[in-house]
Amino acid sequence: MTEDITTQLKNTFLFKGLPDDALTAVAQKARIRQLAEGDVLMRRGDSGDSLFMINDGWFKIVTENAQGEELIINKAGPGETIGEMALLDEAPRSATVVALSDAKVLELRKDAFYEILDQRPDVALSLIRGFSSRLRFSTTYIQKAIDWSQKIAAGDYGFIESTQQFPKAAASDDDKATQLLSAFFQMVRSVKAREDELKHQLEKLTLEIDEARRKQEFEDLTSTDFYANLKEQAKRLRAQRAASQGEE
Amino acid sequence: MANGKIVSIHSFRGGTGKSNTTANLAAQAALAGKRVGIVDTDIQSPGIHVLFGLDETKMGKTLNDFLHGKCTIREVALNIGEKASDSEGRAKLAGKDIWLLPSSIRGREISQIIREGYDVNRLNEGFQTILKELNLDYLFIDTHPGLNEETLLSIAISDILIIILRPDNQDFQGTAVTVDIARSLDIPNLILMVNKALPKYDPADIKKTIEATFNAPVAGVLPLSFDLADNASKDLFSLRFPDHEWSKALCGVADAILAVK
Repeated sequence: MTEDITTQLKNTFLFKGLPDDALTAVAQKARIRQLAEGDVLMRRGDSGDSLFMINDGWFKIVTENAQGEELIINKAGPGETIGEMALLDEAPRSATVVALSDAKVLELRKDAFYEILDQRPDVALSLIRGFSSRLRFSTTYIQKAIDWSQKIAAGDYGFIESTQQFPKAAASDDDKATQLLSAFFQMVRSVKAREDELKHQLEKLTLEIDEARRKQEFEDLTSTDFYANLKEQAKRLRAQRAASQGEE
Repeated sequence: MANGKIVSIHSFRGGTGKSNTTANLAAQAALAGKRVGIVDTDIQSPGIHVLFGLDETKMGKTLNDFLHGKCTIREVALNIGEKASDSEGRAKLAGKDIWLLPSSIRGREISQIIREGYDVNRLNEGFQTILKELNLDYLFIDTHPGLNEETLLSIAISDILIIILRPDNQDFQGTAVTVDIARSLDIPNLILMVNKALPKYDPADIKKTIEATFNAPVAGVLPLSFDLADNASKDLFSLRFPDHEWSKALCGVADAILAVK
């Protein structure tokens, strides 16, 4: 059991840099909580003093819109961690988290966590290192967002296609930089789609094929030795497979 | 003896949603109880592994290793059904017979294979061997856009060729050439699929226009979807959101593939 918790801790931003023995010390302080569908894990505005690691089951992370209606921000499932920053900053919960199914989570309370920090200065140092590298990472992303904003202002959307998809935006506080970029890209796509649609409204969908070019490209592709061999090979292969299927 | 079908998924240009479509089509076939393999032959820009939750650390042998003679094709095949529980959509593949044959995502190995090339005949042998050894019903091939030699090979040996296009002139032009090639190579089943259709156009109308132009069936007109764009690489969209408009249209294409005798 402790081993499972250790593995899960390794996936959190807060603990990923810790040596195994320190992780085991942390894992031993975590306790299991069972929840039923509809149970509230935390409420927005509650004082945050523990982190939760989802072991089993799914949760929705919700907030309210101006009209007081429920708004699902995200979902979180096995392997994901919720509220890790609360261990350090004691800020109130920024959203409500509700179980979508029967669920099992591991809870690490702040006081248990502080006990470890008292006993292990090396753990504290590891945490500081983690924050420092995260800060560096965020700064890099912010710089990218600035570059892209300038491109959008200039009407250049080319970077959307050439930029890799972002890694999964975590449900926790962990990956704000990634969440920002994900939201940013969604915004750019929406803006571009609206722009494209406006353009389309002005022109009728006329799809045309340049027949001369089509013929030329076809001839270029099929006039090689490679193509002639390929055609033969494909024909042979098909005949072979048809024959072998006929035997069955 | 293998009598599985090779299904190549192709688009003339990039950005049509080819990898995403391939992964979802293959997953739907596996869900329907078929034995399914997926080969990522887009060795220059591999991407389909992400949809199955794989990264460099989880990948073992790759298609590159096979093409360089460093391992057998069977060693490349990764059983997705055994390890598909890390997301809501993929979890539905647990226990299904579905294997992924990924391309290497290591920059050095990608540049090596682009620089040195490889024997397309070996690729073909790999396809035939894996069909037999895993007793597959379907081998889905995610091709590189355009019509280079390895892509021509994948098309040439296909039983079913799915061409994905967006409703725009550049895709139309490229698709026209691909259709001509497919006919010249006597591909038994040619199926078109439209992706990223803008909501302002009538899907039925798009289908009619394109079928008339290419004289080939359009098995689905899939809408442009921001939900999909936002979620795609995290999970198999049609498994996670089966009631979404995009997923329903995709299942129509999967049905068309499964209906081929």
